[in-house]
Amino acid sequence: MTEATHTVKSYEQELERLRGMMARMGGLVERQTAQAVKAVVDGDEEAAIEAPDLDPEVDELEREAEALAIRILALRSPMAIDLREIVAALKITGDLERIGDYAASIARRALKLDMDGGISLIGLRSMGRLVQDNLRRAIDALATRDRDLAVAVWQSDTAVDELYTAMFRELMTYMMEDPRNIGSCIHLLFVAKNLERIGDHTTNIAERIYYAVTGEMLPAVRPRGGLGPQQTPPAIPDAR
Amino acid sequence: MSGTVVTERAVSGNGVAGNGASGNGVAEKPAISVRNLDFFYGDHKALRGISMEFSTRKVTGMIGPSGCGKSTLLRVLNRMYDLYPGQRATGEVIFDGRNIIAPGMDVNRLRARVGMVFQKPTPFPMSIYDNIAFGVKLHETPSRSEMDGRVEDVLRRVALWGEVKDRLKASATALSGGQQQRLCIARTIATRPEVVLLDEPTSALDPVSTARIEELLDELKKEFTIAIVTHNMQQAARCADQVAFFYLGELVEMDSTDRIFTAPRETRTQDYITGRFG
Repeated sequence: MTEATHTVKSYEQELERLRGMMARMGGLVERQTAQAVKAVVDGDEEAAIEAPDLDPEVDELEREAEALAIRILALRSPMAIDLREIVAALKITGDLERIGDYAASIARRALKLDMDGGISLIGLRSMGRLVQDNLRRAIDALATRDRDLAVAVWQSDTAVDELYTAMFRELMTYMMEDPRNIGSCIHLLFVAKNLERIGDHTTNIAERIYYAVTGEMLPAVRPRGGLGPQQTPPAIPDAR
Repeated sequence: MSGTVVTERAVSGNGVAGNGASGNGVAEKPAISVRNLDFFYGDHKALRGISMEFSTRKVTGMIGPSGCGKSTLLRVLNRMYDLYPGQRATGEVIFDGRNIIAPGMDVNRLRARVGMVFQKPTPFPMSIYDNIAFGVKLHETPSRSEMDGRVEDVLRRVALWGEVKDRLKASATALSGGQQQRLCIARTIATRPEVVLLDEPTSALDPVSTARIEELLDELKKEFTIAIVTHNMQQAARCADQVAFFYLGELVEMDSTDRIFTAPRETRTQDYITGRFG
């Protein structure tokens, strides 16, 4: 990234404001995801209420960031790294907003869960941990513009996909064993699916960061786990 | 952006990043090839080891801060500098198989083949018709009707015909700035050049006239190789197929316009086009 600052200071300040909005959104969404996972795996009711409560603030930040990004595009005619950063910001805030929605949805579902059927939550716990970890690293990569960290996040979604597939099979088994488990298992299946979607949006964020920082796109096909035969991961373009 | 861009990270011998890709794949012989060009205003070295190619029937944009050498390079391409004592160029500028900066070049013939349009419109103080006929007569002796046809043709091509066809005998200096500039372009292409050089052709024009000239460039590049010097980054982005960035007499980077404005390779280019310079 360029060390020099813009000759026009107000331009620099607008970019800083946009970065600040993204950082705040990132923090909120991280919190929402953590609370959502806690609500399900620990049965924490307060957490289940907090996650959706943060949603309006995230949505508002997304709208503000979008308005600011459009304003900068219109008034500053950004080029090169600035242009890439602003376009990435538009997309990243969209991804963050979706992650917030999924987290809120997980938390709401946690309130409806009736966990008396002896269903193991071990798989969901590891999946939740992994998804949170990736999200945290993606948000770190965003703040520090860390190309390598973005690539690491991008690659590690494979494990999330694999866990999701395993969860899917496990929950199917519970349902076949005893139809009384079906209600809870359906909820947990949605929880797992939503976590998997959070993982995908986290991957998107990593891709946008990589593009903003390097000017290159990561390969269209990312390493996927879980469904279908394992593909060889595509090569990452060399650093400049 | 295609994945192949990543592998085309060739850096040429003189340290200039980029590959100057013209974008459409088919490699045509460049109209002008510059090799190791140095230029001096007396003792001051204004261009340092410039090597670049002007792709045939493409628009090459030249950008950089004032004094970076971009206009100097333009003036070398049709030996405009010959008019001034103490200015000299060394190296090679190959146009149609010949080094045009070598002695023995017919400079008048060269200027008919490599035409130039300046920053301020420079119509001659004569009629619209004669402005165009004047240049043609220097090189050819067409009949009256051939000349009429030529004048109409070039005025149509610069989208000026409709505005002036009823007053071809009126003085060119009565035209608006934008019209004058289009007339100057018409005058330049009337001698049927292969290359058209434009030195900040719209810097004195309003946005509507500017848009007309830019639209015109799109048309002209079907027929001519175009080199345009501009201080307006958006103009380079809009008009050029490839862009060269100059700084302190050096060519820092040359690449496709897309590449230069979305992901330039050199920090100096990036700092300049994003407004982080100095």
